[in-house]
Amino acid sequence: MASLSKSDLQLSQQLTALSLDAEGAVDPAKVVGVLQYLEKHPPVSPLGVLKAYHRRISIELAKANAIVEHAGSISDTILGSIAGAFSQKYRRSITATARQNDDLIAGLRVRIADDVYESTVSGQLDTLANSL
Amino acid sequence: MLTPLILAAAAEGVQAAAEIGMVEKFGLELHYVIFQFISFSILFAVLYFKVFKPVSETMDARQAKIEAGVKDAEEMKLKLDAAAAESARIIKAAQGEATKIIDEARLTAKAFLDKQTQEATVKAQEIIAKAQHSTELEHRKMIAEARGEIARLVVNTTRQVLAHELTDAERARYNDAAAKQLTVA
Repeated sequence: MASLSKSDLQLSQQLTALSLDAEGAVDPAKVVGVLQYLEKHPPVSPLGVLKAYHRRISIELAKANAIVEHAGSISDTILGSIAGAFSQKYRRSITATARQNDDLIAGLRVRIADDVYESTVSGQLDTLANSL
Repeated sequence: MLTPLILAAAAEGVQAAAEIGMVEKFGLELHYVIFQFISFSILFAVLYFKVFKPVSETMDARQAKIEAGVKDAEEMKLKLDAAAAESARIIKAAQGEATKIIDEARLTAKAFLDKQTQEATVKAQEIIAKAQHSTELEHRKMIAEARGEIARLVVNTTRQVLAHELTDAERARYNDAAAKQLTVA
């Protein structure tokens, strides 16, 4: 990745932009089209371009997916409400994926790309320990 | 000094012989008497000028020397007394000066000792203050560490207790509340 040229980075950025739909979400059909294009017209360093493209697509996918960590049970209603709230907040379509994490003790931790929203017993105990 | 007495005695002898007629009585002859008188006068003059006068002058000179010696001795005694008085005065002044120097030395030593004592006291107080400050910092650090350790233990214990004791229903209620909090925020 470090040996990737500036033109290849710009190419991966352009390919990523071509892979998004009107709402900014990753469109699988467009991704397939981009890959076919790269197969027919390989760049100078195809492996580096593909790695950069993959990383950018992963970031875009993470932006559209809210990972909801929880301890105990969580209903689909809650996941739906979270997806709706964050879609409204980020103004793009966001799906919610549940992930069991008993270390939280109780509560929810929502991770969207690099953003983390947390309301858990474990987090409150950590805050209490740091304050003391 | 003896000359007037001898001459007076000789004159009195001649006069007495003339008055009582001793010349005839003892068979004295006048020219012999005169001759003896002249011889005695010559002898007296010789003795006077050659013996009595030099001896008298010598005695006078010796007497003058003795008197001068006595006078010199008295003067020397006076000078000696003055010198002794001057010496005593100088010694007294020296003693006074020495006493003054000793007093000044004592005052200086006392001032130096007081200054040293004061500096030592200040240094000791600084050391004590630093030690107290260090002890206080150490105490605070120890309390903070103990507080942190206690907090960590309390939190860990609470975490373990909650993890074991919370029921699924309680977790579900807490998740609902957390979802509402996150969606509202």
